[in-house]
This record gives sequence, structure tokens and C-alpha cells, in this order.
Amino acid sequence: MQAYSLDHAERLRAHLALERQLYEVRGDGQGGQHWQLVSAKDLAAFEPAAEPPPFSAKSFFFAERELLFRFDGGQFYSAMPEVVPQVLFGLHACDLVAVAYQDQFFAADPHYQARRRATLLVGVDCLHSCRGGFCSTLDCGPAVHAETADLILLPRHDSSTDWLLLVASAAGRSALNGLKLPVAKGDWQAERAANNYYVAREQGEQQEIVAGIAALNRGEIDGETWEELGLRCLGCSGCTSVCPTCSCFAPLDLPSAQDGMHRERVWDSCLYEGFQREASGHNPSATSGQRVQRFWAHKFGDAFKARFERYGCVGCGRCDRVCPGGIGVHGVMHRVAQR
Amino acid sequence: MIQATPRTLHLLDHYADGEDARHFSFRIDFPLAGDLAAIPGQFFMLALPGFGEAPFTYVSLPDKYGHFSALIRRMGALTAALFEQPNGAVLGYRGPFGKGWPLFFSAHRVLAVAGGCGLAPLAGVIQEATSHHLPLQLSVIYGARHAAAQVLGRERARWQQMLPFIETFDEAPAGRRQGSPLEHFDELFGATPPDALLCCGPEPLMLAAAEDCLQRGMPANKIWLSLERRMHCADGLCGHCYVGASYACQDGPTYRYDRYLQLLGGRSAPAAAQDYRFC
Repeated sequence: MQAYSLDHAERLRAHLALERQLYEVRGDGQGGQHWQLVSAKDLAAFEPAAEPPPFSAKSFFFAERELLFRFDGGQFYSAMPEVVPQVLFGLHACDLVAVAYQDQFFAADPHYQARRRATLLVGVDCLHSCRGGFCSTLDCGPAVHAETADLILLPRHDSSTDWLLLVASAAGRSALNGLKLPVAKGDWQAERAANNYYVAREQGEQQEIVAGIAALNRGEIDGETWEELGLRCLGCSGCTSVCPTCSCFAPLDLPSAQDGMHRERVWDSCLYEGFQREASGHNPSATSGQRVQRFWAHKFGDAFKARFERYGCVGCGRCDRVCPGGIGVHGVMHRVAQR
Repeated sequence: MIQATPRTLHLLDHYADGEDARHFSFRIDFPLAGDLAAIPGQFFMLALPGFGEAPFTYVSLPDKYGHFSALIRRMGALTAALFEQPNGAVLGYRGPFGKGWPLFFSAHRVLAVAGGCGLAPLAGVIQEATSHHLPLQLSVIYGARHAAAQVLGRERARWQQMLPFIETFDEAPAGRRQGSPLEHFDELFGATPPDALLCCGPEPLMLAAAEDCLQRGMPANKIWLSLERRMHCADGLCGHCYVGASYACQDGPTYRYDRYLQLLGGRSAPAAAQDYRFC
């Protein structure tokens, strides 16, 4: 990767925003963090939060509601999203791995791919662990994996206004056209390796996660344990909404003008009681324990790892933060690892 | 890229064919090569605009004019709406999807066990065995709740003339076989046990049939089950039809039994003795 020295990340942001819609996570003044549109003229400081935002970048590509087709009573008409070139600025390593995971899952999905192909991803290395994060354990961070981003920002330890900019793709390189930057000096690879080491040390060994994954894949967790965990699942879909790799959806037929209709697809959740229920009433995952088991098998099952070459969990810890029943990843793995 | 938009499908005709069940004739507009390549055991997605889309098996496969037929039982909102449609109605079609039944190229004694509407996915296999002079020696055992619940009446009348076709009933009419299809296995296995089992019906029945055959020495890789799952996209994306790490819409609905057991992994197979009702 080519590395440049960057005096202000805001200069890069303004440059990228000239020809694209640029989104960045910003606070709302009430403690919330949201993806917001930022113009090229916006001078606000770029201050990446230590914690990943409550919502990952998932909905930029796998939209929460997506129009699939229209029907006028006689013919079906396909609908595709109207995409414009966009930049997601300041993505954490974990969320970028999740985007790469979904790129694979939705490889043949035209709606996802139309949005994805119009997007430039600018990652930022984390110098400290977020609360509850364990990206190091799952090899998802804290350094952004080069193959998951177009450009990577590396904050410096010694000065908040001095950055390193790494070019990770051809699209990233051409996006820099017109921006004159000096080539970086110094051993930035060693700097990133040291960051990885420090963050991994902050995150600790995560023994319950490691032991839990092993126990889950050895089939050591009995139905009773899953049902016990299932009792604490409210079926609220909080975990599946915030999880950056969750991808289930359902169709929604809605009436249109003049006797027509249109179909959307909307986010769904495997934790809902009716997720697998058939018209006959037969439900292969009728109990909440079975559904909780399914969710975690999807995140940590070796069969999924074989297909995607990594687990479906990127260690962001969002499920821990959002689950009202205390059965986010650490809650579940704590119980599972005890078996 | 996958295609979520249906193609137009015309409802041509239908007749009553079992309790709350109808045998529908459809025509696809401008059939594609893929339609003609469909094999028995695969399925299509039928869209009822305003009521969603659901998977149904083919009874007869699409021909070059796009004609095919399907047995559909009124069960939920979509099928209730379908039963209200007049002949000539414009519906939506996507397909074919999924894995069909295995093709037997060498001489095989094959047992097909069907329960309720589970006869429909097997119809193509039975039809081929009776019409193409294949070396396949097929026997069929078909269970239903009672006589009025039996489906594919016209086809069964023909098949019964051409191959061993045993019918059982939960509530048998006078002189007919009472009880589960499994209770009649001994008679069929007898001196010439089958080499392979094809099974479609309520999941507990299929598992019981598979386990019974295993105990009689049939290897698990000679047993195939056709599973029913809720499906929405049929492209392996929406997540609803999962069976372990697989999606029934792509990796099934026909599963080889050893693969099915492997997919369940740590999760034990549902109790075979569990009560079931034929649909």
C-alpha cells in the first residue's frame, strides 16, 4: 500500500465530498451517533468515536426497505435503486469486515450491488478498544484490513492533526486525483502492528468467546441451555437490526394506485416466533431457545466459516449493548462456555 | 444476478383433487430454457400480487408451450386468495428452484413413501417410472388421513395399473389398509428389499421412515427426503428456509439423509415418534 502524510483529515473529506455524497458518523448532541450527510464545505473537525456507531453501514447497501417490483394488474416491472456515488468516511475495521462479509453474501443481489459499487469506503484504524469490543480475537481489527477498504486513515499517537493515509484500492487511488499529498516517511507498518498489539492487550484474551465458539461447534450445548437463554429473548430484533452481518428479510406487498401493487423487501429477524412458521402451522423453530441457538450458530458456526472464510461475528459488541435480556455475545458465551 | 421480479403466469384451469385441494393448470408466458430443464422435486414460486409469494412443487413439468400443473391445498392467506381467482387470472412465476430427486441410471429397486400432499412432489418421479420404461423398479406407499383427503386421484388411478402402489389411511374405509405407511414396510421389504428410499410428507413421518430403513440396512446415502420450509426469496438470501447451515430453497428441498443429519449437527433430529398429521 502507498502511504501519504495527511495534515488534516478534513481536507481529504472535503476533497472526496466534491463529487460524491459523503456520510460520516456524528453526534446529535443528545448522546446519539448517526450517519450524516456532510458537504464539501463542512469544516467541522473529523473526530472518529472510539465506539462504533449504534448502526453499522449495513443499511447503505442492504436497505431496510427496498422496492423490488411493481405490478399494474397485467405486467410486472422490476425496480432498481437510483444510486449516486457516495463515500462512507471513517468506518471502523470491524464494520468494514462486515461489509466484505455481506459483499460475499449478496454477490448476486442486484440491489445490494448497485449501491455497493457506487460507494467508496474510507476506514480508520482504532488506537483503543471500544467498550466490549473483541475484534482482535476474531481477526477483524483494530487495523483496517486492506482488502476491505479503499482508503485507510491511520491516526498518529503524537498529534491529533497528523494522519497517515493508506491507499488500499485502485478506486481509492483515483479518488485522490487532484489532491497533492507528500509520501509518508517512517515505518508505518510497525506503527500499525504496535497498535494491533496494544488494542489486543486492552481487549484481553476473551477466553469465554474462544471457549464458547469451541463448545458451540462441538455440539456440547444442550437444548435445555438454549431454552434457558431463550427465556431471556424478548424477540425484539434489536440484535439482528444492529448486527452488521445479519441479512434476513421478508417480502411486503403493498397496494398502489389504480389496482396495482408493489413489493418491497424489509428487514426481518430470525428471532421472531413466526420467522419459519409455515401456512400449515408447522414451525421448525417454534421455541425461543431454538431461535437463539440459530442466531449464534449463524455467527459462530464452522459451517458458515467454511463458506465465508470467517465467522459471521466481527466483534463489534453491538448486541451486548442493545439486548434488553442480557444475551448479547458476552452474555451468551459466558453461559455457553460454562458447559 | 438474481431476479426477484416474477414473470407473468396464466391460470388456465383447475379441478378439485382432494380435500381443500385443487389441481391447477398454468401457462408461463415465453418459457425459457431453464423452465424446460426443471426436474421432478424442484419447485416454483407462485406470486399472488397483494398476497405475497410461496413455493409449490410441479406435478407436471413445464413443456415447450409453458404449460405445467400443480396440486395446491388451501392452507393460508395466499392459497385462499388463489382459490378465489378466475380462470385466466394473471399471476406471477419464478423458477425452477432447488434440488430435485436423484436420477437413477442403474437398475434400482426404489421405494417412494408419501404422506398427504407429499405425493405431489413425487408425482414426476412416479410418472417417469411408468412412462419411460426405465430400469427403475418403483414401489409406492401412500398414506392419507382418510379417503377424501387423498390427492392426485386421476394420476393414482393410472399408476395403480402400472406399479405396486399401496394406500394406507389413518381412518380407513372398509376393506382398506389402516395405519401409518410404516406399518406396511415389512410387506414391501419382504424378500426383495429396496435399494433406495424417496420420501415426502410430514417431517416426523419422513424421519421415522428414514430411521426404519436405516435399521433394515439401507445406507443413509440412499435415502432422500423432501422438506417443507417457509420460503420467500428462493435465492438463498432471505434466511427463512434454513436447515442448519443450508437453505432449503437452494440446497434442498430434497436432502440426502446423511447430509440432513450432518446439517442438524449438535441439534438432535426431531423425535421420530412425534405426532403428525398428513396435510
